[in-house]
Amino acid sequence: MNIKDVLSPFTAWKRVARDPVTVKDPFNDRPGADRYRGFHKNDVEACIGCGTCEDICENEAIDLVPFKDPISGDSGLRPSIDYGRCCWCALCVDVCTTNSLTLSNEYTWVATDPDEFIFTPGVDKKDWDENEKGWKKPEGNYEFYGLKRVEMEHLHPEERSDSFIEMVKGYSKEQAQKEADRCVECGICTATCPAHMGIPEYIKAIRNDDIEEGLRVLYETNPLPEICGRICTHKCESVCSIGHKGDPLSIRWLKRYIADQVPSDKYKDILDTNEIENNDKKIAIIGAGPSGLTAAHYLVKMGYSVTIFEQFEAAGGMMRYGIPEYRLPYESIDKDINYILSLGVDIKYNTRIGADITLDQLGKDFDAVFSGTGLHLGRSTGIPGSDNEHVYYSTDYLRKITAGEEIEVAESIVVIGGGNVAMDITRSLARMQKVKYGKANIIATSLEKEDVMPADREEVVEAREEGAIINPGWAPQSIEIKDGVPTGLHVVECNSLFDETGRFNPQCSMDVKEFWPGVQIIESIGQGMDLSYISEEFKENMAFSPRGRVETNDYFQTGVKWFFMGGDIIEGPDVIHGIANGHKAAIGIDNFIQGIDFKAAK
Amino acid sequence: MDLKKLFQMNPDRSLYPEMGEDGKPIIDLSSHKFLKIWQGPQHPGITGNMSLELTVSGDEIVESKTHVGYLHRGFEKLMERRKFIQCFPTCIRMCVAEPDPNEYILAAAIEDLAGIEVPETAQWLRTLALEMARLQILLRSVPGQGGTFALGLGYQWGNYIRDLILDRFEELTGGRVYHMYIIPGGVRGLLPDGFKKRMEENLKLVDEFVINIDNLMYNNSVFKQRAKGLAVIPKDWIDTYGVYGPTARAAGVMRDVRKTHPYLKYAELDFEPFTTTESDVYARSRVRWHDLQTTVDLIRQIMAKMPDGGEIRAETPNVLHWRIPKGETYQKCESSRGEYGMYMVTDGSDKPRRVNLKGPSYTHANALLDKLLINANIADTAAIMVSLATCPPEIER
Amino acid sequence: MKDLIKDIESRFKTSDYIQKLDHLAFITVEKEQAISLVTYLRDYRKYAGLTLLTAVDWLEDGVFQLTYLLNNPTDYTEIGVRVMIDRDNATMESSHHLWENMMTYQRELREMFGIDFPGSPRIEEDFILEGWDNMPPYRRDFDTKKYAEETYFPRPGRESNDPATYMKSKMYPND
Repeated sequence: MNIKDVLSPFTAWKRVARDPVTVKDPFNDRPGADRYRGFHKNDVEACIGCGTCEDICENEAIDLVPFKDPISGDSGLRPSIDYGRCCWCALCVDVCTTNSLTLSNEYTWVATDPDEFIFTPGVDKKDWDENEKGWKKPEGNYEFYGLKRVEMEHLHPEERSDSFIEMVKGYSKEQAQKEADRCVECGICTATCPAHMGIPEYIKAIRNDDIEEGLRVLYETNPLPEICGRICTHKCESVCSIGHKGDPLSIRWLKRYIADQVPSDKYKDILDTNEIENNDKKIAIIGAGPSGLTAAHYLVKMGYSVTIFEQFEAAGGMMRYGIPEYRLPYESIDKDINYILSLGVDIKYNTRIGADITLDQLGKDFDAVFSGTGLHLGRSTGIPGSDNEHVYYSTDYLRKITAGEEIEVAESIVVIGGGNVAMDITRSLARMQKVKYGKANIIATSLEKEDVMPADREEVVEAREEGAIINPGWAPQSIEIKDGVPTGLHVVECNSLFDETGRFNPQCSMDVKEFWPGVQIIESIGQGMDLSYISEEFKENMAFSPRGRVETNDYFQTGVKWFFMGGDIIEGPDVIHGIANGHKAAIGIDNFIQGIDFKAAK
Repeated sequence: MDLKKLFQMNPDRSLYPEMGEDGKPIIDLSSHKFLKIWQGPQHPGITGNMSLELTVSGDEIVESKTHVGYLHRGFEKLMERRKFIQCFPTCIRMCVAEPDPNEYILAAAIEDLAGIEVPETAQWLRTLALEMARLQILLRSVPGQGGTFALGLGYQWGNYIRDLILDRFEELTGGRVYHMYIIPGGVRGLLPDGFKKRMEENLKLVDEFVINIDNLMYNNSVFKQRAKGLAVIPKDWIDTYGVYGPTARAAGVMRDVRKTHPYLKYAELDFEPFTTTESDVYARSRVRWHDLQTTVDLIRQIMAKMPDGGEIRAETPNVLHWRIPKGETYQKCESSRGEYGMYMVTDGSDKPRRVNLKGPSYTHANALLDKLLINANIADTAAIMVSLATCPPEIER
Repeated sequence: MKDLIKDIESRFKTSDYIQKLDHLAFITVEKEQAISLVTYLRDYRKYAGLTLLTAVDWLEDGVFQLTYLLNNPTDYTEIGVRVMIDRDNATMESSHHLWENMMTYQRELREMFGIDFPGSPRIEEDFILEGWDNMPPYRRDFDTKKYAEETYFPRPGRESNDPATYMKSKMYPND
């Protein structure tokens, strides 16, 4: 034992004169660090109740509890947290699709009632709600799922501007799986889709590379997936939870991916429709558009004998005669429709109700009738000069292009309208101009300014890429006519469309005017319905709204019990509403025939 | 009167217990020469709970059996029922006192099986977090060895500085004890502003502590008297008993995963783990004291070398349905106690098939401790357990 | 490690060799030869250290996989020896004589997986689960969640809603 070892420990005494290191002030708070993971905060206005936080919580500490009534894009639920289980890992914060959920830096909170430790952040007010500090999702490249959409390959504008070849190429398997991987399976989209498609389920099928399951999910609610996968207005994508921080899921292209993978001859095996048990009831359907075809599909699967009456020589309605081929190729339409027809649906082409056979006769020959005749009549602006023979409706023109009829394509054209149909005709005519004259010379306008134009954004962008001029925010005043031929359109600047009460009441600056030369004018400001096939005395038994719209009950039954109506006439106009109506009407018709009571027509 | 005999500290114990022909003590409890006592589960020698079933003859232990299970929560099984990302908050609890190696080996195993490359900055930050974790636990376990001999003062000093290091953890990771920082794919944040400056202030205190504890503990006649020659681990036990880390290095065997299998950024750092040969409690504690200095030096090197910004997390598939192809791997790192590894088996689903954590206490506190305690004094059990850095939760997970 | 594997393959009935990392390989060996291979590795190939012994339950295939992970303290390589044993008759030759710490692993495996190692010291003693009377809990068919629900009680007053189902019930209940 050496003496140094005895004395050395006594050096500790030199610390005796030092200040103590313990915290001197026990009364004031010692706030947590800026990143501290304390009790939760939630911005309930930004939160959409997608439940991703609940999914990732490994402790099952999070419940989704009602906060308000759900609306499109917001489930109305908000996360409630059980602090008996929470481990403050903050994965719920990092995974949050809206960045609404954060943690505070508060870690001391005392309550005597254990139940107080279950609360809904943001709804149950807490002292720390306004405190900025605490854990937030780390910045930078820190994401739990892809925010960037897998780019869809398009034909280059040069390649497509003079042809009607389909411009969207479709996803490859790798691309589709990568895109499907971004889905968080919240299901917020399902409510917004008019047909309430099982979107998370079919996206999951893509992830699992189970295309057959995917097709089965699609056909549960939508018998036109090839078509919808191309031209659906995809309202689902506008509410996609991923869209709050990044690009929404490419739901439409994923649907198309599934349908594209399955060859026609496999459909019946996969969907188990080789054998359908028939009953002896007969249903007539007027119009082979989306709603009529959908109703036919679900009715024939229930065992009914279905006959469709179609005025044109091919089925598809507006999908065939309204939408240009470069967006929706005829093979895709035929694939969906041929499958429906192959289930045993009878179709009578070139047959017009009212002219070839009366509605009353149908009522006698069939047990029920569904009509989805859509909006086929063009609407006129009624401005001076619009009655000229070189002023056309877009609907007529698009139909003629499909039918392959000879049509006038002038060297300079003006299109009035800013919706998707206006873009369709503009882009179709631009292509034809390119072929005929070597360059496009077409201008389209709308009352709405660019940011509120009804057309899809991508339609506008692509139209411009193809050489068309899109110049929104102008009100057409008159068409200049010289020697019986239009020379152009006079417009003035349009500032607003609606007044304070929300009524349609355009306000224009009459002194800001322009003249756009064009020897051919196309009007594309919406379509009207043609109900001439319904006789006046028949109409007396139906219900109409004060504005002249047909009124039906929830199952699209009109005042005449055996007569159901749906599609663009009732809701829309778009394909997916038609599909939703057709499906529901099929259920309604089945209930009606089986005598199951459901709410009668209003 | 023979003064020397009066103050003799080691009485002649050769008579008890009686040895049988097989070289093992003859233990007959009914002979009244033996006593069975339980130490624990609240035991001064460990963080956590563990019991020793001791058979003693006088104050000398003749047989010891380790009993664990007081902290069993079945994490390995729980992880089989959780998605890969959900394993991340679960795994850290397998060693509470030093949670970061848990985070790292889980992340490393997942990244290895999924084929993910972690960004440069994240690797530096991981290295920093692991060394900070080592620093905070050594600030407890180095003076803690003195604590087992009733020298509590150094423990107070160490714990004060440890709290300051936890403040740094708090600002870097958002948590003081469960840091949840090394996430599969990367880390969860860059250094906050002014972090390096505040860290350096703390490190200066550690420098001072290293000298003070040297004077207080290692040059202390009582400590030396009790720790030297206690619980010697012969070199040839290293492999048969499974001895790792500082414990092995005290026996002259180089065991440091940072050197033998350099992971993260250790290959770019300049350090030499300390080894000695005495292999007693004193030597093991001394190795940790050197480790403490190495760690301080490493933290300084890391802070000087690491980039200021950069990507903190690699792109991974959507964590909510992250599937990892079938495979198996063993990933390890050097914890303050030694090699800390995770064996993970995946089957192509979104959850691990099997996770097995291998911490040094599994062998240190079972087979090795049972052996070392034979012929030890009851009063030395805590010291021996601390010298082996026993952490019960990693035995039973 | 390639030479080592070639050597092993020439001497033992092995399969499924995978070089996972530069220093880490896995190889499967027939059950009868497993302890011989482990002994060979320890005594003749310098794999003197036992890193771990654990089991993986392949319930669907009706087998347990035992993994003996050995390490070489001279060149720091590691080799995982896999052994597939029948799940219904889960018994394996004991190797407690090779490493002092092996008996701890074997005790744990018997308790957690129900794999017996006859002859291993204290194999019958409880290790972690004193007084456990259910099936070995690390077997795949032991449902931890179900066990927890039956053994403990949930906190009252907790109820959650699925966003899609909730929206459907509120927004279009008739569909």
